Amino acid sequence: MKIVVIVRQTPDTEAKIAANSSGNGIDENGLKWILNPFDEFAVEEAVKIKESNGAEVIVLGIGPDRALETIRTALAMGGDSAIHIKDENFGNTDSYATAKLIASKIKAMGDVDLILAGKKWIDEESGQVPIQVAAELDIPQATIATKVDVDEGAKTVKVQSEIEGGQRILELSFPALVTTERGINEPRYASLPGIMKAKKKPLEEVTVDSVNLEELGLTSENLGIEGSRYKVDSIDIPVINRSLNVLKGGNSDMVESGEVQAVAENLTKLLREEAKII
Amino acid sequence: MSEIWVLVDTTADGSIRNVTYEVLTAAVKLKEKNSGTVAAVFLGESAGAIESDLGKYGADKVYKIENPGLKEFNPSAYASALSESIKKHSPDIVLGGNTLQNQDFLPRVSALTSGGLVLDAVDLDISASSTLAIKRYRYSGKSISGMTFHDVKPMIATVRPNTFKPNESSGAGEVVQEAVEIPAQDNVKILETKLVPKDRPELTEADKIVSGGRGVASTENFQLIFDIADSIGAGAGASRAAVDSGYVPYEMQVGQTGKVVAPNLYIAVGISGSVQHYAGMGSSKVIVAINKDPDAPIFQKCDYGICGDLFEVLPALTEEFKKLS
Repeated sequence: MKIVVIVRQTPDTEAKIAANSSGNGIDENGLKWILNPFDEFAVEEAVKIKESNGAEVIVLGIGPDRALETIRTALAMGGDSAIHIKDENFGNTDSYATAKLIASKIKAMGDVDLILAGKKWIDEESGQVPIQVAAELDIPQATIATKVDVDEGAKTVKVQSEIEGGQRILELSFPALVTTERGINEPRYASLPGIMKAKKKPLEEVTVDSVNLEELGLTSENLGIEGSRYKVDSIDIPVINRSLNVLKGGNSDMVESGEVQAVAENLTKLLREEAKII
Repeated sequence: MSEIWVLVDTTADGSIRNVTYEVLTAAVKLKEKNSGTVAAVFLGESAGAIESDLGKYGADKVYKIENPGLKEFNPSAYASALSESIKKHSPDIVLGGNTLQNQDFLPRVSALTSGGLVLDAVDLDISASSTLAIKRYRYSGKSISGMTFHDVKPMIATVRPNTFKPNESSGAGEVVQEAVEIPAQDNVKILETKLVPKDRPELTEADKIVSGGRGVASTENFQLIFDIADSIGAGAGASRAAVDSGYVPYEMQVGQTGKVVAPNLYIAVGISGSVQHYAGMGSSKVIVAINKDPDAPIFQKCDYGICGDLFEVLPALTEEFKKLS
């Protein structure tokens, strides 16, 4: 079977975010980039399926040149080959146009059985692109998966999914898209030999220009700002502006045992009378 | 402006979720700026008499898209049904709460209708070019982005729960029955649905939340968190450190790789207050920190705090909270 894993490069979770000079993007100077944490689960799940059932795992990444590093991380974890879609206008491309691009590439591949992706891109704070890909391909989806069982003979996948207030189990026929939740597996680390090998694995670079647009069944209207449905006007860094009223002990910062009762009463009063919240 | 649609979010037992009224309030505000009609849109097997409640919060119309194929939530079927109605009535704007269900099927609606979609808005306005302008958090709560839609229809957005305070405003609640054809769903089977009875409000919608961190130190000790949460009807959450230590399950995790919450009151107990945790709860209205380390970063990000031993502070505070009711 053939599995495509959609991977996204995101700033490190520890990264400090600042606006760039144009004010509608982030300052990438000195930023550390990682494989989106939820995509690690998708890559791991694909590799696990490959190890138990046998499968070809294709890593599909979209983004500028720097995204190659993330794609290589996924290859080092066990992906067989990779596709890197580069769109020069990527920065102006919204989720709708991004999904169209990814979907058209997967459609051109023809015989994909399963598409895996993380449930959310932590930079965009959204999981909409993989779902839009499923819609473009007219295939079923199971999102926020905590368990995936593939039945290759029946060409189905059984997925345990998180829903509001519980879980449910879905059975999807191939081809299908599944997005992964934390807890589904323990992603392996890319080993040093894995990283060395990743550099030699087949990599197809697709630069989106007028020539190969036709192959993808797209026109320039599908790309960049023209293909997008919204644009980002501004990025602001919220200033933490809180009252910092920390109740301390009489003798030190720490409230001592004998003072706890009075402090508890004081906080309750503040929450009730000043903050009017309880 | 033609119509502004608001999706009716219901719980498993069919009652209308509060977030529906919050989004209706936001829709009424948009209507006041730009005229038009606010319509509530129900998708499901059978709506029941929901129109008077929806009318009370400003719904001029109530579309009832009722179909046996919508009995259980299936994103493909829901997307197909809503898209068909959107194509028929061409609303300018479609809004819903940022619930898991809406996050699951609205991306498909945007693809099927060639509409735009922005999730988890914390502010909605009409732009200079008469399209929808939205503010939302990006980069894990570390930035707020202003975004505007191009000239597209429909402009679809979900709204973060607890962002708008529901405001009563009279709407006629005129019922419009919508018949839709739902294509056969042969490629999806729902084998089993397990709803876990919840003793406490769901984190993403809770008005108050108490979360425990590494400082709580064990699964047994989390009872202290549950006790104080129950004393004020709050949801119970946890930091990543507490989840990774195995004290409580992942569903309780608040933060960058957990749930994003925005209650009126967030009490962080034994939580140091990492950037990643703040990313998940930084838009809470009032933050209270209880920690024994005076240098914990959370004390630089809170409204109120107690620097003390949580095992002494929590029981005393729980007793005080109980006296309030």
